[in-house]
Amino acid sequence: MTRRGTGVVGAALVASLLAVSACGSGPDSASGSNEVRMLVNLTDNLTQEYWNELVQPFEEQTGIDVRIEGPTGTNVSETFSSQLAAGTGPDVIQSIFPDEQIAPELVDLTGETWVADTPMVDTYAMEGKHLVAGIGSQAQSLVYYNKTAFEEAGIEATPQTWEEFSDALAKLADAGYTPLQTAGQWQTGLQLQQLSHPTVNTLHPRWQSAVSAGELTLGQVFQPMFERYATWIEAGYVQQSDVGLDPSTADANFIGGKVGMYPLGSWLVASIDNAGELPFEVGVFSPPVEEGMSYPGPQGATMASPYMVYAGSERTDNALQLVKYLVTDQAAIESQLVQDGVFRTGTAVQTSPVGQEIQQIVDEAPELVAVGEGAGDTRLPVVGLNDKFTEITQSLYTGTSPADAAAELDAWAEQNR
Amino acid sequence: MSSTVVDRTRAPRRAVGGDTVVGAPQGPRRRRGIGAVLVEASMVVPALVVFVALLVVPVGYAVYYSFTDYNGFPNRTPEVVGLDNYVRLFQSTDVTGALVVTGAVAVAGSLLVNALALGLALLLWRTTRFTAIARVVMFYPHVLSLVAVGFLWSAILGPQGAVNSLLGSLGASPLPFLSDETWALATLIGVIAWAQFGVQLLIYLAGLQAVPAELLEAARVDGAGRWHTFRHVTWPGLAPSVTVALVTSMISLLKTYDVVVSLTGGGPAGSTKTFAYQILAVDFPKRQVGLASAEAVVLIIIAAVLSFAVLALRRRHDEAAA
Repeated sequence: MTRRGTGVVGAALVASLLAVSACGSGPDSASGSNEVRMLVNLTDNLTQEYWNELVQPFEEQTGIDVRIEGPTGTNVSETFSSQLAAGTGPDVIQSIFPDEQIAPELVDLTGETWVADTPMVDTYAMEGKHLVAGIGSQAQSLVYYNKTAFEEAGIEATPQTWEEFSDALAKLADAGYTPLQTAGQWQTGLQLQQLSHPTVNTLHPRWQSAVSAGELTLGQVFQPMFERYATWIEAGYVQQSDVGLDPSTADANFIGGKVGMYPLGSWLVASIDNAGELPFEVGVFSPPVEEGMSYPGPQGATMASPYMVYAGSERTDNALQLVKYLVTDQAAIESQLVQDGVFRTGTAVQTSPVGQEIQQIVDEAPELVAVGEGAGDTRLPVVGLNDKFTEITQSLYTGTSPADAAAELDAWAEQNR
Repeated sequence: MSSTVVDRTRAPRRAVGGDTVVGAPQGPRRRRGIGAVLVEASMVVPALVVFVALLVVPVGYAVYYSFTDYNGFPNRTPEVVGLDNYVRLFQSTDVTGALVVTGAVAVAGSLLVNALALGLALLLWRTTRFTAIARVVMFYPHVLSLVAVGFLWSAILGPQGAVNSLLGSLGASPLPFLSDETWALATLIGVIAWAQFGVQLLIYLAGLQAVPAELLEAARVDGAGRWHTFRHVTWPGLAPSVTVALVTSMISLLKTYDVVVSLTGGGPAGSTKTFAYQILAVDFPKRQVGLASAEAVVLIIIAAVLSFAVLALRRRHDEAAA
């Protein structure tokens, strides 16, 4: 071999080795650093800038750098799964909840004294273990309404039964308003569930556990609400075209004053407050229940800003310090409560009239109940309900009968059990 | 090739039974040969390492996981479940529904993309100042992120989008671009075609440059009209380009995901839920990595079968023409 040939071979081998060694180094090589990675949900309310500002005092107090990471996929759950599979799991995860699969991957917070007093911590406990800590509750079962529209339509009181609700829809339509604003994408199924919570949880307390035990089916739980929706769609109270509407536009429609009623969670408060002076007064009430049931019914609620620590983290102590700060520091708690329309017993930070009305609804609710797939040990035997539920709810808009929609829900649960 | 001519493309013959065969490497030449082999190997190895690391290993893992119940968590040891994921995949109405949607998107989309690209390529074939600018403009949609494309068209075609607002102001009924199952699928295919035809346009423009000018001139002199010239001269000359454009567009459309996320979210009622969307937005987030891997393997197989089928048809057609 010539000298030139030897040199070429040597250079190529060195380049190959360098390339291979470069592939071998990854984020974990920085495990000795004083940095904590936190995967968070990014929304209109919870922006990257907001998160950076929220953790800044913590960074200054402790010298620990917090790297805020938004979802790289469609949501935090998908991103967390991807990162775990890739071996690049974050130290702290915000916005998703523990389930049977995630639980073994999380640090057990039960021994941390500061966790016991955090809101809804027992609701989310799994087999007695506290794996998640939050800062308050997000009320899920709310109907925002346009008080001006109600006055013009001659509706004197907010509806407490479904019959009164249907009457109100008819009057709003007659008065020239969109009676009930719904939207496409993820929001279609969510809104139907939100309206259902008080009735469903009065009829079937802890229905998720009942479905798990085989005492009840999902179709039986939701078919009555499917039937109401189908009636409203047929009557034109719910626009068939809403199924193609993006949720932001639905928010804008309500804030713009064209809409009579708009079911959504308490996070809409922040959007309403940020919208400035509206051309109408916003009110809010708990969804109706069936005739003869006690009103208000149980309020669907989720732990707000749930934080979990990844068991595979090499900076567990730093991660625990960060979570402790986020769920116990008074200024951090109040900031999060205000930013995302969150409620917490004994902390009246919601100063707007709508915020105060929601606080009252939460205080008067006979019970805060788990929504969707459930919480803690009160869980459905299947995962992925919300996506499928939205798909099936949307089929009501495109002509599927309530009975067929309920049957499809049961078939899906059976296939994925 | 004549038997008297040395075939230099073949490897040198080796010594057999102690006899040196003509062409066998001699001492100094053998040493140089080893050096040359090492040099060649050193050039190939990096590419081979990258190929194996980025293609063979991931696909291998996907195949392995598809036979397990793996949930994606490093602490969890995957347990082999045989063909369970494949059986479940074909029994699931969600998955089979997504396969049908993907088939519709791939077939209708690739036909639309190629028809659009070929038509425009024929219009922009001759180089003038206008066609040079037009080519750039036509390629522009392909540069955009598909997520951005989805949001853009959602704002244009949504129930309260620009088109329906215009129709409303003219007193016409709105069109259900995104709120009717059939319309939404057609809209999705149209938007994908708009976003993707740029590459196919380039392929056809390149292919048109290879059509012999003398044949076109001969056809013109013989009095052939535009259609006959296209049918008997241009189209046969474009055949390899058509194959490439069809295969690449079809494979690309089989993976349709981003635009679904931002345009329809898979709705309404799952009518635009593609196979890739089912894998990435439904099964993977549910941490069903085994099932999602089985779906990915099926997607690879479908893409391979389609590609080979188109290539085989092309080859058969060429042989018949020859």
